[in-house]
Amino acid sequence: MKSFWHNITAGLKDIYDVFTLELYRIFTDGGVMLIFFVGSLIYPLIFGAIYKHECIRNLPVAVVDDSQSASSQRFIHKLDATPEVNVDFQCNTLAEAESLMRQRKVNGIVYFPNDYSDRLAKGETARLCLFCDMSSFLYYRSVFTGASSVMLDEMKHIELERYTMAGVTGQDAETAITPVPYEDVKLFSPAGGFTSFLVPALLALVIHQTLFLGIGILSGTAREEGQTVAIVPERLRNRSVYRVVMGRSLAYMMIYIPLVAIDLVLLPRVFGLPHIGRLGDLCLFFLPFLLATISFSMTVGSFVRQRDTGILVCIFFSVVLLFLSGVVWPRSNMPLFWKYFSYLFPSTHGIQGFVRINSMGAHLKQVQFEYQMLWVQAGIYFLTTCLLYKVKFFKYEDGAVCI
Amino acid sequence: MRHLWNCFCRELGLIKESPRYLILLTAGILFSYVFFLTFMHEGQPENLPIAVVDQDGSYLSRRLCHEIDATQGVDVVAVYNSHSEAREAMQRQEIFAFLEIPAGTYSEVLDFKTPHLALYSNNAYLLAGTLSYKTLSTIGKLTSAAVQREVMRKKGYSEDQIMGMIQPIEIDAHLISNPWGSYLPYVLTTMLPGIIGVMALLLTVYLVTNEYKLKTEIIWLSTAGGDMLKALIGKLLPYTCWFTLLGIVGNIVMFGFSHFVCLGSFFALSVAMLLFVMAMQSMGVLLAGLIPDQHLAVSIAAIYGMLSFSMSGFSYPVVSMPPALQAFSYIFPLRHYYLTYADVAMFGANFTQYWSHLCWLLCFLIAGCIGGLLLNQLAKGDSNKATVEC
Repeated sequence: MKSFWHNITAGLKDIYDVFTLELYRIFTDGGVMLIFFVGSLIYPLIFGAIYKHECIRNLPVAVVDDSQSASSQRFIHKLDATPEVNVDFQCNTLAEAESLMRQRKVNGIVYFPNDYSDRLAKGETARLCLFCDMSSFLYYRSVFTGASSVMLDEMKHIELERYTMAGVTGQDAETAITPVPYEDVKLFSPAGGFTSFLVPALLALVIHQTLFLGIGILSGTAREEGQTVAIVPERLRNRSVYRVVMGRSLAYMMIYIPLVAIDLVLLPRVFGLPHIGRLGDLCLFFLPFLLATISFSMTVGSFVRQRDTGILVCIFFSVVLLFLSGVVWPRSNMPLFWKYFSYLFPSTHGIQGFVRINSMGAHLKQVQFEYQMLWVQAGIYFLTTCLLYKVKFFKYEDGAVCI
Repeated sequence: MRHLWNCFCRELGLIKESPRYLILLTAGILFSYVFFLTFMHEGQPENLPIAVVDQDGSYLSRRLCHEIDATQGVDVVAVYNSHSEAREAMQRQEIFAFLEIPAGTYSEVLDFKTPHLALYSNNAYLLAGTLSYKTLSTIGKLTSAAVQREVMRKKGYSEDQIMGMIQPIEIDAHLISNPWGSYLPYVLTTMLPGIIGVMALLLTVYLVTNEYKLKTEIIWLSTAGGDMLKALIGKLLPYTCWFTLLGIVGNIVMFGFSHFVCLGSFFALSVAMLLFVMAMQSMGVLLAGLIPDQHLAVSIAAIYGMLSFSMSGFSYPVVSMPPALQAFSYIFPLRHYYLTYADVAMFGANFTQYWSHLCWLLCFLIAGCIGGLLLNQLAKGDSNKATVEC
């Protein structure tokens, strides 16, 4: 019994030693401090500033009105009044509008053919042409939304006129035009903005990537300085790798708990992003997310032989991870291979779970899959880290490497 | 010229000695190309999972389900009995949108009352939410149109008149240079060159600072006859060629094999790629000159590099950013590459229109020269120290 207690206290002591040593290493490494503290706090602030405005407003468009009629002018006035676009130019020819588009002075062209009003007068379908700048999807979205909302409004107006001509008036005409009206409810981000959609995902990605990068750098530095995978107190060498891994994890956990609280709890509130998740669920979710990320980073980190390799690996993966998370491109439409490939990374489940709890008010029950997967990852990567450390400690056991 | 050549050969020798970094970066770039081209091969997501909450259970509601299922954009994966079930499915991300058909819809239609359908879409996933919403709202409009058509047919209107009544205006949309509304050209044409650029930047910072770290800068300079500019050009030229080549091959894949639209000259795009790589390298030299500490310099370069994707404005337009950031966007070469790409490939512009972007890219070379001056001073300081020590 006595030896059991002795083992426990010795184990705790060892973990504590590794923990303090790791903290010391973090706080004395400028690059790591920069990534951990400046990176994880500056990035969210910059993203918050870049994506400050949810939607594009008042996008300049040009109008070419060959019809020169009351109905086309009414359409133009209404178009100008939409929040999405501004009619900045009224051109005489399509060529003129085209050259404005080429000069990038306008992002869309609305063209009324000369039979526009004639067709309306005859009770036929009138056609108007819309040319959209596709250099950014948000341009297209704004121009298209603006034009179609005016079109719907105009259609109702014209239909009402036509029904009135046919002798159907008042409520009857309203019912005849839209016998089955529908209401649209845009859930979780009523403005349909870019910010509320992208920034929460980016915030979770920043936590993942800075942690990954920081740990990669620390491992790389240790290797550069001639260590095996991590710098550990002398008496712990070649002994219990579990204590080393646990001690290191604890150090990163301690640093990242406040950072997560700032980035993922405080900042969505400060930036006015959606934050309808319950705090309890969020905290319960962050625990496996952090653990999985730390173990994952340590596993990958033990392959990093030089400090800057970590950075290079991390950089090009950031963009890939964002797409793999399924926030930008729907998971249902991912090729199967990439879908399973994405299960390797804690960021996939972390971003998914965070977005759903935070932005969509899901409970843990609804993110059960992600939650379990993160625990599984945390477990597996913990074991792989231990295994790798053991192999590497063993390799250097002859004492060729010393502190 | 001889010095330049010597320097160039020295760098080739260094690459031969330890090709690890170059291989790693090239592998990363190739992986990105393969990943993005296969990942979004659909171009625009199709058959997005959605659900119907059918509280009516009538002929009409069943038919609506079938109609929705038959559209290309969405796939009805479930029919629920209640709103809360559907909402939970949405939170589990099983569906991106759902259409709620309240009880008594069919009988109300027959009675010429106006039943209300409700359409819920998930905007937390912008692309999927918007696309499934678009399809469902089309269905919503078509439902009304179908009822209207039946009523008018019974009243004896001709088909032409009916069409005029139902759809008095039609929009004929032309999506310039991306008629499919595909996501691929929109994301890839700027992001993949961006990844190449960031790699070039990081490698430059690493290589230049490495000379100082390993204290080989004096040998390096002497190979170039003491001229820092020649030394830098000689050192970075192999990488400039390699990354530009990768970029051009990448563009050939995108505009050739994947059939992205390129209205203008491909040559202009290739020149832009060369200038872009050089601009990124120049920024690398500047950073290396400003921050001699290798670790810190690489970390800062990483932060700067990652920001170029957001600041280039290809996903979120720069005009919508706060004014201070709009000005800030000029110091990112990717921004100018993206503008050149949009002008050349999407609008088929000629030189008179896109020259300014290329000039901006050239301006970054000044940053490289400033970086060279700083590096020169550092080297001088180091050699002085070395003499004193001697």
